[in-house]
Amino acid sequence: MTVVPAQQSGGGGGSSGLYDVLELVLDRGLVIDAFVRVSLVGIEILKIDVRVVVASVDTYLRFAEACNRLDLEAGPRKDPGLPDLVGEMTESGARGKSKGALSGAAETISDAFKQARTEGSEGETESRPRARKSTSSRRKEEQE
Amino acid sequence: MSTYVYGIAAGSHPGLPEGMGGVGDPPRPVRILRAGDLAAVVSEAPDGLRPKRKELLAHQNVLSEAGAAGCVLPMRFGSVAPDDDSITGVLAERAEHYQERLRALDNRVEYNVKANHVEEAVLHQVMAESPDIRGLAEANRQAGGGSYDDKIRLGEMVAAAVKAKEADDGAAVQRALESAADDMSVGPESTGWLANVSFLVDRDEAESFLAAVEQVRKDMPHLEVRVNGPLPPYSFVEPGPAEPARTVASGTDTGAG
Repeated sequence: MTVVPAQQSGGGGGSSGLYDVLELVLDRGLVIDAFVRVSLVGIEILKIDVRVVVASVDTYLRFAEACNRLDLEAGPRKDPGLPDLVGEMTESGARGKSKGALSGAAETISDAFKQARTEGSEGETESRPRARKSTSSRRKEEQE
Repeated sequence: MSTYVYGIAAGSHPGLPEGMGGVGDPPRPVRILRAGDLAAVVSEAPDGLRPKRKELLAHQNVLSEAGAAGCVLPMRFGSVAPDDDSITGVLAERAEHYQERLRALDNRVEYNVKANHVEEAVLHQVMAESPDIRGLAEANRQAGGGSYDDKIRLGEMVAAAVKAKEADDGAAVQRALESAADDMSVGPESTGWLANVSFLVDRDEAESFLAAVEQVRKDMPHLEVRVNGPLPPYSFVEPGPAEPARTVASGTDTGAG
């Protein structure tokens, strides 16, 4: 068998790539009608939320402000963020700098996960660690 | 006891991850069910399984592991069969179809590419290309930022120009990578990115595909381009229109409001 090229942006092991492949895992792949699917309650929010940002007054104002600040003489290459971004792309470390829409979606997803977790926890062995409410989200990061 | 299904592979697949931890807490061990020349990668389905991050990762990890050694048709997350027999039954019943898909996808992997604008860079372009926008921005600046209505007017114009650029740049990314791949599948649109496209790539051609991505990054420095892969061929398991890409792309300008 051929050697598998190094995984880009850690989609397999690390959780960082998960957001990027989420819609593939959830929306693509084989479906066999004879089998049932786990309820995805909570997850659907993702798509709705991600579209909301399209064209709002807030966006317009933000763009207007940004244009006022832009130094046209400097040219686009002077943007200090750019060289950084190019270097970081393969590590998907650029997420923090990407548009607000994206991080908004990411938050929504994690909210959905939390919600799903809460809903589905009765009778699960996980309910014990979850009882320590205040640290539950951090614990979640560590565990998963 | 119901059974969770991760994917379907050829019976001759050399490295199915039997015994690996799958979904659930504690992780349910992965088992292999066989029927004829096919094999299904399964585990026990835990009660109350939900689409949590941990479970999605487990699904993805089992498929990555299985896919590393040979072709696997990935199931969508969350497929649960009533029991093992119903899975072997399906394998037997649709053997021909799965065999065909396995042959078509043999030695191929999926790379998902997402791109979005680096905001400041794209605003620069928009201003540079449109005298109207430039003029309005300058007027606003001289008026100490401009009135609320002036700002909205400028912002609207900029947003429209950016949107047009998103469509153009999305198409350009697609064109640039299309030729380096065997097939292409356009993912759902959203405002989070201007391109979301999966490419089916021969493992032996993966390097040249990634080189093509590098080239896109160089040629379009105002884009942030992210690549995920190699992935199991999630977007290519169903036959059907081999290239839905063009029709989908041409519908990009629908949600104008």
